Amino acid sequence: MKSSFLWRNRVLLTTGTLLILALHLLSSGVRPGARASKPALALIELLRPFQTFVAGVTGESSGFVHDYFELVGVRRENADLRRQLAEFESQRARMQELESENRRLADLLELRDVLATRAVAVNVIGSDPNALSRTLIVGQGSRSGLRRDMAVISNEGVVGKLMVVAPDAARVLLIDDHNSALDAIDQRSRARGIVAGVIDDGLTMKYVDRSEDLRPGDRIVTSGMDGIFPRGLLVGEVGRVSQEGPGLFLNVEVLPAVDFRKLEQLLVLTQKPPELQLEGQN
Amino acid sequence: MIGVFSIATVIALALQTTITRFLPFAVLMPNLVLVLAVNLGLRYYGAGAALMAFGIGYATDAFSGGLLGLNALLFSLVFILTYGMSRSLLSSTTAIGVIAVFAGVIFIDLGNELAGADLAPRASLGPAMPAILIQAAITALSAPPVFALTAGTARLVGLRQRGLRE
Repeated sequence: MKSSFLWRNRVLLTTGTLLILALHLLSSGVRPGARASKPALALIELLRPFQTFVAGVTGESSGFVHDYFELVGVRRENADLRRQLAEFESQRARMQELESENRRLADLLELRDVLATRAVAVNVIGSDPNALSRTLIVGQGSRSGLRRDMAVISNEGVVGKLMVVAPDAARVLLIDDHNSALDAIDQRSRARGIVAGVIDDGLTMKYVDRSEDLRPGDRIVTSGMDGIFPRGLLVGEVGRVSQEGPGLFLNVEVLPAVDFRKLEQLLVLTQKPPELQLEGQN
Repeated sequence: MIGVFSIATVIALALQTTITRFLPFAVLMPNLVLVLAVNLGLRYYGAGAALMAFGIGYATDAFSGGLLGLNALLFSLVFILTYGMSRSLLSSTTAIGVIAVFAGVIFIDLGNELAGADLAPRASLGPAMPAILIQAAITALSAPPVFALTAGTARLVGLRQRGLRE
């Protein structure tokens, strides 16, 4: 048995079969909704407790490390005093963290009231394992009313949209991912274009006609035409405008309003923009 | 072997998806799951290892923003190339593993970027190269301790692996 052709080439044959399976997955992955396959959702659910735990530990440990360095001198003088002070500092750090979280949630609540739409507050628990992809994992899913393609925002502006939704977790495709695209307008000149992510970090506004008058500092907001984001949400501001090359369009660099590395609490809009719902009904 | 590497994959993915958020740049986080795939190709000669490498890629796909199946394909290719290299050189030393990890990160990142750009090499791939090379170097540096850790765990559970010549 062990000397047979199949046994001798078992690794090559297995890998060959798996490569064909991967190619099949790739071809079916192009279909909308195919990404949310059951094994993939199960994996996201499986890792959620680990991510919640590690995210909690990492967040708390930064406070403890800070406290430790501050108390090195005090420890030499008085061990008891240091212990008391460490406890106090630890409590203070926790209180500051709670206060900061409270402020962020209050801002989100205020934003939800301003938008006059139904929304769910979610916590960020993870990010993309691929360093060049831009997605986040949040700790709420379909059980909290989240669905695919719902808009995700923060009090600073547009963050992205839900890409895959598991029962208790979901993945958000950030607007600075190179697979992302959203319909936007320049608030001053009303020039319209598509804001997309670029590989080397940042945003660009595509398909803006050369005749349009875009200037650095102009605010870019959502147009509300894509049926996902309500009209008028801040995306960022124009950084650099150039007309290099023979193309028909301007090269527009957009500086995002949101710092994607510092996101902790987000708002998922569970209701589509009212004007677009009406369009859909008609 | 599958049990040990499944647990290692879950831990590696949990670290990669959480710690990355607290680093100033995502590329500073080593691609630990790739180190596991290279380790499989280097030291485990069986169909189970091929299956595990595919599983690692698929698990990465579940958490990544790219196409589902892309990392499963790329990780399987990294596995079979490492396996082929190890067999043809008749060696599975840590030095060869580090080189394979360095090349593997470049291969995986470029594969993801090209697929994201509809397989069309774009001018914008240039600025991403320094980031890819930095992550490849950091991942290569992290490979020896990961190899040692998995080898230690394998010995602990009585797992048979290919002779190590470190």
